[in-house]
Amino acid sequence: MSVLLEAQGLHKRFGGVRAVQGISLQVEADSVFALIGPNGAGKSTMMNLLSGTYQPDAGELVFDGVSLAGLPAHRRARLGIARTFQKIRLFRQLSLLDNVLAGFHLHHKVPAWQYLLPAAAFWRDWHACREEAMALLDFVGLADRAHERAGALAYGQQRLLEIARALATRPRLFMLDEPAAGLNGGEVEFLLGRLREMRTRGITVVVVEHNMELVMNVADHVFVMDHGEYLFQGTPGEVQANPAVIAAYLGGEFA
Amino acid sequence: MITRTDRAPLIPPSRWVGYLLAFALIVAAPLVLGTPYWRGILVVCAMNVLLALSLNLVLGYTGQLNLGQSAFFAIGAYVSVILVRSHGWNFWLAMVAASAAAGMAGLLLAAFAVRLRGHYLGIASLGFAVITYQVLVNWEGVTEGVRGIYGIMPPPPIKLPGLPEISFGNSLALFWLVGGIAFAVYWMLDNLVRSPVGETLRALREDEVSAASLGINAARWKAFAFGLASTIAGLAGCFYPGFVGTLVPDAFNIVESFTMLAMVIVGGMGSMIGPVIGAVVLTFLPELLRSAGELRLMIYGIALTLVVLFMPGGILQLVQIVRARLSRRAGAGASR
Repeated sequence: MSVLLEAQGLHKRFGGVRAVQGISLQVEADSVFALIGPNGAGKSTMMNLLSGTYQPDAGELVFDGVSLAGLPAHRRARLGIARTFQKIRLFRQLSLLDNVLAGFHLHHKVPAWQYLLPAAAFWRDWHACREEAMALLDFVGLADRAHERAGALAYGQQRLLEIARALATRPRLFMLDEPAAGLNGGEVEFLLGRLREMRTRGITVVVVEHNMELVMNVADHVFVMDHGEYLFQGTPGEVQANPAVIAAYLGGEFA
Repeated sequence: MITRTDRAPLIPPSRWVGYLLAFALIVAAPLVLGTPYWRGILVVCAMNVLLALSLNLVLGYTGQLNLGQSAFFAIGAYVSVILVRSHGWNFWLAMVAASAAAGMAGLLLAAFAVRLRGHYLGIASLGFAVITYQVLVNWEGVTEGVRGIYGIMPPPPIKLPGLPEISFGNSLALFWLVGGIAFAVYWMLDNLVRSPVGETLRALREDEVSAASLGINAARWKAFAFGLASTIAGLAGCFYPGFVGTLVPDAFNIVESFTMLAMVIVGGMGSMIGPVIGAVVLTFLPELLRSAGELRLMIYGIALTLVVLFMPGGILQLVQIVRARLSRRAGAGASR
């Protein structure tokens, strides 16, 4: 197994708050990597550091041999890093289809002049993108609602649409920030299936999650943070059995 | 799978019908409105359509508040006139240079748009228009300041082999020229906003953070939108001085920016046809209200306020509502 993403000694502070302190981790290619921890553990900050929404105060990030130092989010997307957001950020006024189509931004192979005067290459791309977008909507079970406004979707469906949109960038590393938050039991089951499917399609998945059922079911490797620091890592079974992790989650009570 | 191109028509017939109608309208309008006065209004209308189209690209599609569009109109007008008068340039060459100059100024404003959002960008763009106006007033050695430039000639005649010379000294040919350019610009922008570029700009309008997560470089695409929009506004500006014959800074008062804003909003921003409707209505409405005398501005103001209050989607929204009602009634009638 090769390492796709490696972080070394990441630090990030906001004023006096040390959100992330000296985190190092390795994400192996074609695996599902779960990042867990109680509220305020620094998981979302980690996600933002990895995706380029924030830049770290110290530490190194290497993706497939390329240093990510100083690269803004849009450049990291170009390298094949996609993400979803904990607080859903869809293009709410646009249709489901248009949301996904925007995800093909990096993949259009059309001579620039054809954007003004469409010709063969433009229409080839136009149809190919729509076909692929519909396939992605189908992948998350929303194909029949392609022409509705994204803002009109139920909460759980909005999460799924965000996944379809991110997949349109054809990522190698896909990071999901609490994808199961607000989903009902059936939707969590569906999401589990989709995550497994992504892995078989050669997409490495990093998932920040509160939902233990999902983590334990799908993760190959679990990384636990608490108060911005490293706590433990291992297989789901090892993590579940670790006293320090149990203590962090349940507070002092059961320790 | 790419060969299955038969599912959707490449361009729906309704669009071709629309283009044909618009073309016919441009050809016929100055023949119907035959007096020099109304033909003059038509020329102004065509320029306003260009301005509304350009502002809509930034405001409606890219979601960037721009209250300084008059500055680019001014740059197009002044640069083209100065190049022709003081440097002996050919008008058509000066037109290209002046549009490019306005486009460069747009890139300058885009540099602010990368750092400023919403109202802050609005204020910065307003400031840009005020500065431009002040430069026109005070840089007398080049712009003649408030004295203005007089006796500006219309675009030179075009000689095409085998055809009689086309002179732009009359507002009939000038309208066909500017109207034709507006038609071509509309066509290309219409294609552009339906292309992946339009998808990118709309994504920026909706949410910059998630646009970035899809690989969209906000700085670059805002620069694109501002640059293209100000180039178009500059192009419109090239025809203004030759039409009026004089050039004074007051023609580019910042109030003009708000008139352009009103055209986009009243017509329905974020659609292609909306701002065109807005530009046509707001060009002709004041003229039609002339008979109302002093009440004119009041009626104009009240109409504007009502549209913004009750139809945030503009006149286009009203048209769509009416059309939906009619088709529902027709559907109900058919089922009975």
